[in-house]
Amino acid sequence: MTATSVEFRNLSKNFGPVNALVDFSHAFAAGEIHALMGRNGSGKSTAIKILGGVLQPSSGEVHVGGNPVHFANPKDAQAAGIATVYQELSMVPGLTVAENLFLGDLGAVRGKAGLIDWGRVNRLAQDHLYRIGVDLDPRCEVSRLSVGQQQILEIAKAMRSDPSILIFDEATSALANREVEQVFKLMRDLKARGVTMLYVTHRMSEIFEIADTCTVLRDGRFVSEGRMSALSHRMIVDQMFGDAEIARKPARPNLTEAPAVLSVKGLSRSPQFEDVSFSVRRGEILGIAGILGSGRTEILRGIFGADPTDAGTVTIDGTTVRPKSPLQMKALGFGLTPENRKEVGLVQAQSSHSNLCMASLRKLASRAIITREMERPAVDQQIRDLAIKTGDPDSPVSTLSGGNQQKIVVGKWLSYGPKVLLLDEPTRGIDLQAKRQLFDIIWQKAEAGLSIIFVSSELEEILEVTDRVIMLRHGRIVAEAQTQDVSLQDLYDICLGE
Amino acid sequence: MAALKSNLSSPPLATVAASSRKHFSVQVLAMELILTALVVFLIFAAPGFASVNNLLNVLRTISMLGIVAFGMTAVVISGEIDLSVGSGAALGACITTSLTAALAPSLGAPLGVIIGIASALVAGGLSGLFTGKVKQWLNVPTFITTLALLTALRGIANMITGGYPITDLPAWFQFFGAGNILGIPVPVFVYLIVFAAMHLLMNYTTFGRAIYAAGGNVEAARLSGISVNLAKTGPLVITGVLAALSGVLLASQIGSGNGTIAVGMELDVIAAVIIGGASLYGGKGTIWGTFIGVLLLGCISNGMTLMNVSEYEQYVVKGAIILGAVMMRQYLDRR
Repeated sequence: MTATSVEFRNLSKNFGPVNALVDFSHAFAAGEIHALMGRNGSGKSTAIKILGGVLQPSSGEVHVGGNPVHFANPKDAQAAGIATVYQELSMVPGLTVAENLFLGDLGAVRGKAGLIDWGRVNRLAQDHLYRIGVDLDPRCEVSRLSVGQQQILEIAKAMRSDPSILIFDEATSALANREVEQVFKLMRDLKARGVTMLYVTHRMSEIFEIADTCTVLRDGRFVSEGRMSALSHRMIVDQMFGDAEIARKPARPNLTEAPAVLSVKGLSRSPQFEDVSFSVRRGEILGIAGILGSGRTEILRGIFGADPTDAGTVTIDGTTVRPKSPLQMKALGFGLTPENRKEVGLVQAQSSHSNLCMASLRKLASRAIITREMERPAVDQQIRDLAIKTGDPDSPVSTLSGGNQQKIVVGKWLSYGPKVLLLDEPTRGIDLQAKRQLFDIIWQKAEAGLSIIFVSSELEEILEVTDRVIMLRHGRIVAEAQTQDVSLQDLYDICLGE
Repeated sequence: MAALKSNLSSPPLATVAASSRKHFSVQVLAMELILTALVVFLIFAAPGFASVNNLLNVLRTISMLGIVAFGMTAVVISGEIDLSVGSGAALGACITTSLTAALAPSLGAPLGVIIGIASALVAGGLSGLFTGKVKQWLNVPTFITTLALLTALRGIANMITGGYPITDLPAWFQFFGAGNILGIPVPVFVYLIVFAAMHLLMNYTTFGRAIYAAGGNVEAARLSGISVNLAKTGPLVITGVLAALSGVLLASQIGSGNGTIAVGMELDVIAAVIIGGASLYGGKGTIWGTFIGVLLLGCISNGMTLMNVSEYEQYVVKGAIILGAVMMRQYLDRR
């Protein structure tokens, strides 16, 4: 396959008065992996959506392989050899790998009498997977695949049309490091076959591993382009933010004398985690580090009573219980922001206002009677304290950006006033600026005496945010250290094991 | 970080204060406008529609249905459904009348009626509780449980009466369903009281807010430390009680209790709730919307009868209205 180049010429896109992309010109060389970096709203998503045929430019041209193209819809783009892999997994969990691959296209693989010939479908799927070097069983139900395998299947599906250009839109956001490796291996194979790739991510470390070039956009405009070998983490961040200053961790107090607020003893839930014991001091930020499947999310859910546990106790301020339900654990002073914010962190159809009050209704109400007016001071306070950009707090929370939605989930618990806040992947899918703000909030609240357990699949974040870190492998605590005493290399080594 | 610091010290945005005003628009008031247009049309097109007697008659009829519809609204908002309300009403009617007939000779008619009504309401509540608990413990969808109850409750109602109407009732028993206070039918007062109570419950109590949250996203509500079981079972219990209450009023109105009361009532009730804007997916809907939906259905039925539209044609029109209302709402929401 001969590789195809992509060129944007004077591309502009405006949504009403908002200029998402302004006179963007750039050529991406054929057969390479190009990272597109920028904050949310920088225009990188708009650019790739135009290339993918999802959006049409207000002015300017797209050239593919040297020829000008106009895509009215994603189908046009696909016909021109351009496919997109998205962050959201679009697989049907109850169907097999093969059926998902051919979903929407089963008519093309019908056998005799118009009936589906499953043997043939599975064979074709097997051939396709083999051709692009993916080791998945076509007969396996997708619900039994790991998130990483599902993302690989997503790529395999995009590769069905045999595209010469593949766009990755935050395709690795949901994956842990080991799974990202699997995806990267596939990307390198595809690159060797001459596929040109455009890659959008929030994860800085990834692009140094996989990309050949990095193009930075800011406020809809082209800022810079360079080969990865000539760039540093710091240079890219500087270009993304312009002159904006990056928050640094404030001096954290020495907490070794502070009283323990929470202690977890022998908590187990087979097979996810086993005999987990640790304690957290007042005002301390404890990180739980581990790869996906190490049990970090499950431990938080176990402490919060969201999932049943087999054994173990949780002691908070002298009260010892077996966690039974979120209702019970909330009453004891716990709050949890779940990892999948969109699905279970928020009621998407309801307003920011309602979501912010959801955990603290009983606290805000007087004798079970509650009015919007009684809630409003609490809502206003969270919007102000967390700098949430809601526009109108009465419009649905689904209209907010990821970062602001995450602040609403955090604000929901802050307005309840827990003693211990469990944060599960709070930075997933939010842009760097929102992440910085979230870290500032975490440090401020810890300073004010809130104890926080912070879980993230990005180990860099754990090093940056926490005071102390416990490390998990296969559902067991394998090490514990003051964060200042561990390096990123240590953390990776211990969590990955072997 | 500079940006955050400046936001921390700035006063609340002006939009925060301004947003407490609701935006009134065609989208929001669509059903109210249609109801108004319909009433104006019927005043001119349907002979006798505007007469006081007819309007009171319309109100009496819709009250029986409306009482149940307010409970059903809460059930639908919580993300569930109750198909058993018609049979629940029949059971309520049969329990009340049979107990009254049985107890009146020994305890006196007033005590008999009181025990009869109380028993009917308790039975209604228990039926709702049963549905909720079966959902909670065995995860059986409320659609299935209440479909089973739709059949079973009517069976029990007929078993109680032995298939014959119970008419052995004190004459004043008819006051509840057929009587008037200040010239206004008694059921209308019940309807308005239930409306006010349910409106307050859904909008101004933590329980009501929990129902909206559980219906909007049950897992998010659970992880917010909300009692999801209460938020789902509570509306079912309320609806069971209200269905029984409606049955009592119907028995009182016709002066007899029998197992064939309120056949198919569940469909009219659900239709009113849907026309009123509640979403069968849960999380969305208002008691006020249902109030309008009930009025709309009542006026259309009455108007068509006055205009001599045949019963068969009325069914078709009703079907068209239910579908049309939902299609219109979807269309308006999308814009």
